[in-house]
Amino acid sequence: MIETLLNFLNQEEVLQVIIVIGSMILFFIGLFGILTQRHFIKIFISIEIMEIAIFIFFIGLAFQKGKTAPMLGDGITKFINMNDPIPHAMILTAIVIGMAVLALGVSMAIEYNKLTGITTIDKMNGLKN
Amino acid sequence: MSLKRTIPMTTVSGFGVSAVFILTILNILMQNMPSNIYRAGDELLKLNATDGVANSVTTVVVYFRGFDTLGEIAVLFIASLGIGLMLTNNNLNNISQENSNFMLQIGAKLLSPVIFIFGLYIMIYGHLSVGGGFQGGVIIASGILLLLISSNGFHISHKFVEIFETLAGVSYVVIGLIGLIILDSFLGNFLPYDISKMGLLLSGGIIPIIYIIVGIKVGSEMSVIVDNMLKRNIDD
Amino acid sequence: MLGLVILSSFISIILIAFKTIIEPKLSHTIVLSMGIGLNAVILFVAFQAPDVALTQAVIGIGISSVILLMGLKHLGGNYES
Repeated sequence: MIETLLNFLNQEEVLQVIIVIGSMILFFIGLFGILTQRHFIKIFISIEIMEIAIFIFFIGLAFQKGKTAPMLGDGITKFINMNDPIPHAMILTAIVIGMAVLALGVSMAIEYNKLTGITTIDKMNGLKN
Repeated sequence: MSLKRTIPMTTVSGFGVSAVFILTILNILMQNMPSNIYRAGDELLKLNATDGVANSVTTVVVYFRGFDTLGEIAVLFIASLGIGLMLTNNNLNNISQENSNFMLQIGAKLLSPVIFIFGLYIMIYGHLSVGGGFQGGVIIASGILLLLISSNGFHISHKFVEIFETLAGVSYVVIGLIGLIILDSFLGNFLPYDISKMGLLLSGGIIPIIYIIVGIKVGSEMSVIVDNMLKRNIDD
Repeated sequence: MLGLVILSSFISIILIAFKTIIEPKLSHTIVLSMGIGLNAVILFVAFQAPDVALTQAVIGIGISSVILLMGLKHLGGNYES
């Protein structure tokens, strides 16, 4: 019973289905958070959840079962039978940029709070007055 | 709130950034695309074996996508500049001076050298194992964060950090220009590299040098960001 | 075994993300977002991408939560949204 379940989960097609459906559910949870929450910190965390969903989706699409990490090491002397390193490099840069954008957004929120004393977006109606 | 705020970067760094942009645009105009690469992954992996670097993600980040890394460093610099513009506080008198926890002080004294050595290891050995400049720089910045929150007397001087940052940014472009002069391509690998030496520390030509430069730049920018976030005065 | 690891990590990351969204206390929210980053690290290791896993562990768990906590401190304490 357990053996058949593990063998079923280890198939390549099942793994791809799990990756696609799981990361899409995670993405829509982040979208739900952006649309329903009102505090600045909650919105930044929702954006971070969406970012992580996209990273998992991208790395998971490049993943093939049975291939190793793109790196030479003990016992591995040739660049064959390895995963594609280009999605890894792109996501590595995207994580750093996401952190910088998060820090810039938080500092903007701090400055806005210092000027007006507002911490939620439903009170941001300065243009109306 | 006073509208008069000093920009925390010197004009030298401003000149450096504008030089980076101009040189990047010139290089994109001057370079020809290689016509023999059709499929990205396998062909690049075959090419990678000629460069003497064990970690192929490092090769892609630093060597094949060196322009993108330069642009990403520019984005990080602009984010750090924006945070410094928004959160710089000239009035340093009102910052609370209470001592931190005793356990935190002792633990920071014990842990911070280990964290710095770990970050340096990850930064220097980025072409042989997992890691590289981005991760090592951020680890060093987290060590500086530990020192900042634990001890009262520790301040990082922004002038010193700016010198590091400017030197790193300028030397990246200078190494790229030397490659352009010698080998007709920006960031060409002009130092000798031997495939039989793959796995040693001094292998791979300019690739580990550039990743160390990236690490210095990222570490100093992250330290400035963390310092600006911590030193903000609440009651003004 | 790999399929079980990936499936359980996805279930855990989705549950923690939903709890993060509906949690009213903001400091609890930031700590739960660190849990999301930790599950993402497990997934990246399972996908044979150790560089991305190290970057996510350092940046996504370490520095991001420090920045969010500093922002929460400056925005005024443990506000309940």
